[in-house]
Amino acid sequence: MSDGTERDVVGQEVEERDITDVDQPGEEAGQFRKGGPGSANPNMAGGEASRLRERTRPERPLSEELAALRDHIVAAFGEGEGGLAVDAFRGELTLLVGPERLHELVVFCRDDPDVRCEMLADLSAVHWPGGKRVEKAAETTGWPTYEVEDVGRIEVDGILRSITHNHWLRVRTTVPDDDRAVLPTLTDVYATANFFEREVYDMFGVAFTDHPNLTRILMPEEWEGHPHRKDYPLGGVDVQYKGGVIPPPDQRSY
Amino acid sequence: MTDTQRPDRRQGSEVEPSSEFTVVAGEWQDLPDAVEDDLMVINMGPQHPSTHGVLRMKLTLDGETVVSNEPIVGYLHTGIEKNTEYRPWVQGVTFVTRMDYLAPLHNELAYCLAVEKILGITDEVPERAQALRVILTELNRVSSHLVWIATGGMELGSTTAMIFGFRERESILDILEYVSGLRMNHAFIRPGGLAQDVPDEFDARVRQVCSEMRDRIGEIEDLLTENPIWVERNKGVGVMDAETCLSYGVTGPPLRSAGIAQDLRKSQPYCGFEQYDFDVPITDTADAYGRYLIRIQEIYESLRIVEQALDRLPGGPVMVEDQKIAWPAQLALGPDGIGNANSYISRIMGQSMEALIHHFKLVTEGFTAPAGQVYQAIESPRGELGYHVTSNGTNKPYRVKVRDPSFVHIGALPAFSKGLGVADIIVAVASVDPVMGGVDR
Repeated sequence: MSDGTERDVVGQEVEERDITDVDQPGEEAGQFRKGGPGSANPNMAGGEASRLRERTRPERPLSEELAALRDHIVAAFGEGEGGLAVDAFRGELTLLVGPERLHELVVFCRDDPDVRCEMLADLSAVHWPGGKRVEKAAETTGWPTYEVEDVGRIEVDGILRSITHNHWLRVRTTVPDDDRAVLPTLTDVYATANFFEREVYDMFGVAFTDHPNLTRILMPEEWEGHPHRKDYPLGGVDVQYKGGVIPPPDQRSY
Repeated sequence: MTDTQRPDRRQGSEVEPSSEFTVVAGEWQDLPDAVEDDLMVINMGPQHPSTHGVLRMKLTLDGETVVSNEPIVGYLHTGIEKNTEYRPWVQGVTFVTRMDYLAPLHNELAYCLAVEKILGITDEVPERAQALRVILTELNRVSSHLVWIATGGMELGSTTAMIFGFRERESILDILEYVSGLRMNHAFIRPGGLAQDVPDEFDARVRQVCSEMRDRIGEIEDLLTENPIWVERNKGVGVMDAETCLSYGVTGPPLRSAGIAQDLRKSQPYCGFEQYDFDVPITDTADAYGRYLIRIQEIYESLRIVEQALDRLPGGPVMVEDQKIAWPAQLALGPDGIGNANSYISRIMGQSMEALIHHFKLVTEGFTAPAGQVYQAIESPRGELGYHVTSNGTNKPYRVKVRDPSFVHIGALPAFSKGLGVADIIVAVASVDPVMGGVDR
């Protein structure tokens, strides 16, 4: 499935690009969000670098209001080491901040009159697992290949929404996916964070210090493991039909 | 237990009562303290007809008054979010439509808008598809509010409201069935447009339902709005002021009942909602009665939107033109039901090998989406329904997180149930209209 995905569409001339060129992880500084080919879950089909071709579409820039907002917050917190990194994708503003300044940033976004995010609209997480993987310097055989050891990471994304100014932005922080997955709680800033953080704890195992009631919320109390981590199997049984057997979804090759 | 095993209390001494009567459950450990404080901990749910499915509340009572309320959820957790990570983008629609089962089309719409945003094709979705999405989701909003009136009335003992609500809802579901083939869980809205165009008589049937619905909502209003029992039970119950709402992330009718006219259809329009003329009803009572009034008004506003959308419904396709994304099917009604049109099958099977390969690849593998993360929120009947979708550049979602308004509203229960009577808890919970399928996902 991963090779030979170069597709032709009948009667359609499209501008094509090779997305493996742009999505290699760690190419740009500050772009520690993008997993891209290579870092995907081995169970995820097509996760390996493959020549997928698709029509390029122009990237939507940030609106003027969001750009001004970005400049305002970056001016207060500084950019680069110890400060913020900024990412824009599809017209959405993302502020990347270290765990140690997360609380400070969220309080700033709530209290600053120009930002004034009254609501924590959402808090979620994404797991990018580590482990050994093979990185090829080039796809041609004969070039050297490297074995790379990755530290897995969990990205925690909060959506802050301002009703007064009618804008929203994403605050993202990254923690390792081992026992160092600890973040300060936001329950003292937004009451919503209580349930959201319990869900992130339940599903990803990120501990929130000083949370008033950090227990599992969706899974039973005695459950082992954190289901939304990528190394947690989906589970399932074979599907049998007229002698044929189809493996459960997480074991299929497609 | 047979008679021989039953401990004989009259004789007493030989039996060890400790092994017989000890209750072991972690959450009851606090009970002795509570008894000393003269407080009582009771458990409401998860099997309780008026907790909207399987919501469980651990109430601490001082007499009849609720001192604290700890909602416990998770009884309906089905792992839908995890499941979507193992299926192609298009198949995600059939999963997410089963979350908030009273507003399936809103789930589909939010998911599809998020996928379209990742693909960067938001502006390429044809206008006809967008207008039909508006019509369908607004009809769905009406049916969802009607269920709320029905179940809310039922919980207060008003079986007439229950019958009225479910009866009127059925006429909406008939339309949705007529369009998609299913009363619920339609999977009709797809990334890039709709599964297929609407049938010929869609316009006439929807207009008829809209005009009839106004009279019927009028009947419900006559029944409830000034009904002394309804007013007594609802006014001043479940009060949550604007500040508390915002801190707890409460949106939708509860937030609007507190006087904040926040509606994502107005503030951050999607699907061309900015073209339609409608009002956002608010009240300043911040209680269950205000939420009732708002929902009734929202039904009228939704009907207004539907009629406007029908008036200006443009022609044309209902799926994006990009052949690498559009589902490669041309549906037609055959003798054995709906399926691919004969002309299409003869083309891919008999004329063009490339078309067959393309069809096969797109159906089995699906399209790929560029790596990145988007958040797309829409105004569902219950509030802000957000889809936080992450792609790693493959043909499947890397992660789909749903911000379900019911989940957030259940999280706010402790805030607005303090000081209420036990009977009022039922009203307060009903007033935020939680759907446990959406809470637990």
